Amino acid sequence: MVFILGVNFHEQKLVKKALETFYALGPQISARVMAKHYIHPRAKMGTLPPKTVTALTAELSSMTIESEARKIVQDNIKRLRDMGTYRGRRHAMGLPVRGQNTRTQIATAKRLNKVERAG
Amino acid sequence: MSAPNCLRGCLVQRPAGGAAATLLRHSTVMPATAAHFSTSTPLHGNMMKPQKPGPKSKVLLVAKQWKKGKVADRGGKSPLPGERKAFRKRILLSNNNALPVEGLTYIGPGDLLDHKNVGKVMSIPDAAVDQLRTAEVFKPTQTWSIFRKPSMLVRSETVDLLNRMHTALGKEKALRLVIAGDRITGKSMLLLQAITHAYLNDYIVIHIPEAQELSIGATEYAPVPHSDPVQFMQPNYVLKLIQAIRKANEKLLAKMTTIYSHPDLPQNIPVSSPLLALANSAKEPESAWIVFRALFQELTVKGHGRPPILFSLDGLAHIMKMSEYRTAAFEPIHSHDLALVRLFTDCLSGAVSLPNGGAVLAAMTRGNAPRVPSLDLALSRRAAEQAGRHKNQLPQRPAFAKDYDDRVEAVLQTVELLQLQGVSKPEARSLMEYWAASGVLRSLIDEATVSEKWTLAGNGIVGEMERAALLTSRF
Repeated sequence: MVFILGVNFHEQKLVKKALETFYALGPQISARVMAKHYIHPRAKMGTLPPKTVTALTAELSSMTIESEARKIVQDNIKRLRDMGTYRGRRHAMGLPVRGQNTRTQIATAKRLNKVERAG
Repeated sequence: MSAPNCLRGCLVQRPAGGAAATLLRHSTVMPATAAHFSTSTPLHGNMMKPQKPGPKSKVLLVAKQWKKGKVADRGGKSPLPGERKAFRKRILLSNNNALPVEGLTYIGPGDLLDHKNVGKVMSIPDAAVDQLRTAEVFKPTQTWSIFRKPSMLVRSETVDLLNRMHTALGKEKALRLVIAGDRITGKSMLLLQAITHAYLNDYIVIHIPEAQELSIGATEYAPVPHSDPVQFMQPNYVLKLIQAIRKANEKLLAKMTTIYSHPDLPQNIPVSSPLLALANSAKEPESAWIVFRALFQELTVKGHGRPPILFSLDGLAHIMKMSEYRTAAFEPIHSHDLALVRLFTDCLSGAVSLPNGGAVLAAMTRGNAPRVPSLDLALSRRAAEQAGRHKNQLPQRPAFAKDYDDRVEAVLQTVELLQLQGVSKPEARSLMEYWAASGVLRSLIDEATVSEKWTLAGNGIVGEMERAALLTSRF
């Protein structure tokens, strides 16, 4: 088991996949972070030397990911709602924001569109 | 009981008329269940076990699985991590179901230089087999697993190549050569023959079995300290390589002693200690590249009883392109900036010389090779040069082409090219007689059969001949 930023990863897990489990850390950023620490694209967590694991944790803790990134999204939605825009209202109502039909197929919007959006 | 022996004896002697007819009648009468030869005894064994009373059919099982969203228990335990790959990549070099072939001789140190041996099938001596296995020269795609012991056909190209190596050795130079050719023409096999010859003649062999392992970003990498421009070492791969070199060339390395002091090494290796001790000092990946450099430096000293070196690589195209690695600034790394690859390309281009002679051989691969226009261009230029074309008439880059690479063309400026094609008919016949004598090809070997298979195989492409004759039915 390898700890990165307080999260426990299995040794067989690809470093790339492990990094991408963090919110707001996608394929582009994970590739760059790995290149910065000379981790090859197919590396697994178990092969990382402790020094690199520490460096990764340090690197990730300085990035805008997880709760900070979620906060930014929530702030944006809150701003829209406070201004009274249509998008803000639709978020508050948990309905699609961009003009989709609402007769069927709005499960995703119902799940995600909230003022305090989680994901 | 005498059926296999009879089959072998008769086919080897190529009897005319009555004897052959008797033999064929005999073999056709045999029921299908009594096959002389099967590679799949264990599998067959499992199939014959009584099935557990369980779900009635596979289809039902699958349907059930979909409904419940559970993984169906198919019986037995699932393989451990890595087990499937190990099974897929395993190298079987002998098969007790195959008949021993009488009259097969072992390859001696000078046998592959002798033109008399062209068209003969010869066996690899056991000691060399171990060395070749250590250096990972055998490939899982080759058909070693259906014969009694590893043997190979001596082709005219083999003798030609090894004579060129021998001549270069006499001049204390290195033969720098690229083995090219169509799919399954035997490029890796020719490389294997060269390496076998090298082991039998006390060369030090450094062999990179799959060039793609270096460039597809599947092994650790790190910048080489104090290198300018920056090069990248691949510590884990190099450690594995040193261990293979050490194991395969142990006797030679034990005889030689160091003449330099290497202050950078992790372990103090005083001057005049055996090279084996130097090779043994690579214990950790971190120090592997330093040890490898030191070892290479020691091996390429002129004189001092240093043997010739064979530096070989299979899958040249993979190291002639940008690698999958990235620098810290996220720039792609050219394969030639990987230190081990750079060492090989320097040897291939002649920038690094092998003062005690030897060879630098690179085999192309057609199976999964990336498209590298510069490599194709450089090789077509070498082919044109060897065909005697004038300098002005050599193939040129297309005027507005973008994806050409100067570094690749610079490496291949002065190499020799060996273009492999099909085997000749006498060679094909000899090979098929060996197959028949081993019991894997169950037909009479005469002019017509040989011609048929030779033609079916695109004028004697060896791999195609194997497909046409040996691999038509999987047991």
